[in-house]
Amino acid sequence: MNEGIYWIASYPKSGNTWMRSFIANLTKKEEGEVDINEINTGSIASARCWIDGVLGFDIGELSHDEIDKLRPDVYCQTAQEAEQYEYHKIHDAYRLLPDGRPLIPTKATAGVLYILRNPLDVAVSFAHHSHCSIDQAIKNMGNPDFAFAKGLKRQHRQLRQQLLSWSGHVSSWGKVKGINRLIVRYEDMQLKPHETFATVARFLQLPDEQSQINQALQRCNIKNLQQQEKEKGFNEKSAKVDSFFRKGIVGDWQKTLTEKQVKQIITDHAKVMQHFGYLNEQGQPLVEPLEMNQVLDDGHDRETEQ
Amino acid sequence: MPMYYAFGLNIQSELDLPALPLTDHVEPDVTIELADINKDGLEAPVDKRLYFQSSPDKFWLHVPGIAWFQVEEGKRIQVMPEENSDMQSVNLFLLGSCLGVILQQRQYLVMHANAIRFGDQCVIFAGPSGNGKSTLAAAFYQRGYEVLADDVSAINEAIEVLPSYPQMKLWHDAATKLDIDTAELSRVRMQIEKYACPLEKGFCNKPLPLAAMYILGTHNRDEFLLEPLKGIDKFDPIKNNTYRMQYLEGLGLKGHHLQRAGQLANRIKVTRIVRPDADFQLDRLVDVILEDLQACGIKV
Repeated sequence: MNEGIYWIASYPKSGNTWMRSFIANLTKKEEGEVDINEINTGSIASARCWIDGVLGFDIGELSHDEIDKLRPDVYCQTAQEAEQYEYHKIHDAYRLLPDGRPLIPTKATAGVLYILRNPLDVAVSFAHHSHCSIDQAIKNMGNPDFAFAKGLKRQHRQLRQQLLSWSGHVSSWGKVKGINRLIVRYEDMQLKPHETFATVARFLQLPDEQSQINQALQRCNIKNLQQQEKEKGFNEKSAKVDSFFRKGIVGDWQKTLTEKQVKQIITDHAKVMQHFGYLNEQGQPLVEPLEMNQVLDDGHDRETEQ
Repeated sequence: MPMYYAFGLNIQSELDLPALPLTDHVEPDVTIELADINKDGLEAPVDKRLYFQSSPDKFWLHVPGIAWFQVEEGKRIQVMPEENSDMQSVNLFLLGSCLGVILQQRQYLVMHANAIRFGDQCVIFAGPSGNGKSTLAAAFYQRGYEVLADDVSAINEAIEVLPSYPQMKLWHDAATKLDIDTAELSRVRMQIEKYACPLEKGFCNKPLPLAAMYILGTHNRDEFLLEPLKGIDKFDPIKNNTYRMQYLEGLGLKGHHLQRAGQLANRIKVTRIVRPDADFQLDRLVDVILEDLQACGIKV
């Protein structure tokens, strides 16, 4: 039976792991919480072993562009062979290949759950995760050519992921047409968890009874994730930093970013921040975001895709 | 047509294969020829995947942008390059996937691993791509150890590893780590910064008994971890590091392969070795392995 892939899409450090931990806990049949090192909801879209395994030949000797051309076929094949819905993380921006095909084919896609987070908080978390200065993280988030694993001098464990700028990333997924899509904000996951995660569960066709949602949320709350990381470490953590699960609080930027840094992020991303309720009408940053619109119009693309 | 030699086979090829040594033998075990290949695949495939198909005697592969290949009965490889492909690229998949299938069809136990000589035996190193297998092999080579195989190790019934051919492939960063000047090497393909390093004196050209297998892994901690595996625990790592396991189903060789993998598990030492991800510590890794081999009575 062809069930297809639900993509759990986000810019890095926006709540993707928390969301996948929620999904894993919601679908877990046995007692107890899911081990953070066994959140097996599906490989990340850029997992070399997934693409290599389906293709059946060595992609280690192909260029990044050559591999990208093959990725849509792999996702279609996986979706076709899937016996149930699969939930795959993706950090790539939604983009078209030079021949006009989307990297993420509509045919392979049951839906896209896009998670976004206030870029002011992303900057703090991204700097910590990447073991770089906050200024460097802000620069990366403003770089329309930013990509992971794009080097040419060694074999990366993951495939190249073109992220674009933070605004470019959000807009790229926000403007997709013809795909079943839900956009959720990290802040709503924190501030209105029951309502937000119930909407997510329904969208992903997962169990959505309130008691089940509550139990899964309890099992994957940040304290629990931190405790697990403290006890047994977390495989997805970079070797250069002390911990993956940090504070996970909304508005941490207020205590961490300088005025100049806040201003830079707002200058770089004002349009998209405004659209998703992170700025008030005067363009001032908000801790608790305003209501947002699920639909992005094309005007944003021209503004953000330089 | 030139006759080449690799994996103990005389290979007569219509295509130039500069990576392989020439031989004077006249009777080929394997022939490589240009041919018309059906772009849709085999007539009656047992297993039909996205870009490869297989049946007990035949294997068909399409590498988009490069070529179509057909491999038959462990004896013959046919090639039909795509219009704009270059022979360097065609050669890579010919010596990779296609030669791999020839060895599988000849019922060798084929592992995705490299093989290094220690005394009169050898040890294979496996692990996911990107974990440093080739870098480690090159480090042993620099310390004077002979290399039998880079990337693909074929094991015969006597549990010996066959010598492949005298070349290692190294990424630019790995070469730099080993102070190898890439300016003097050729790229394996123009599209990537991976280089062909010819192995001159340090190639072992005779089959050697296999003593042990190491599975290379990494973790985000700052320590080395050695975990010797026992009994049934040795089986999965052997199975999981099989060369292109997904080919074997349609070739009708999966059962045979698993049986051989079981026999291998009973005969060799299998150890998982995990190194820090942030800092390769290549010299330390080599030392840790050498100490472990000595402790197990393997002459280094």
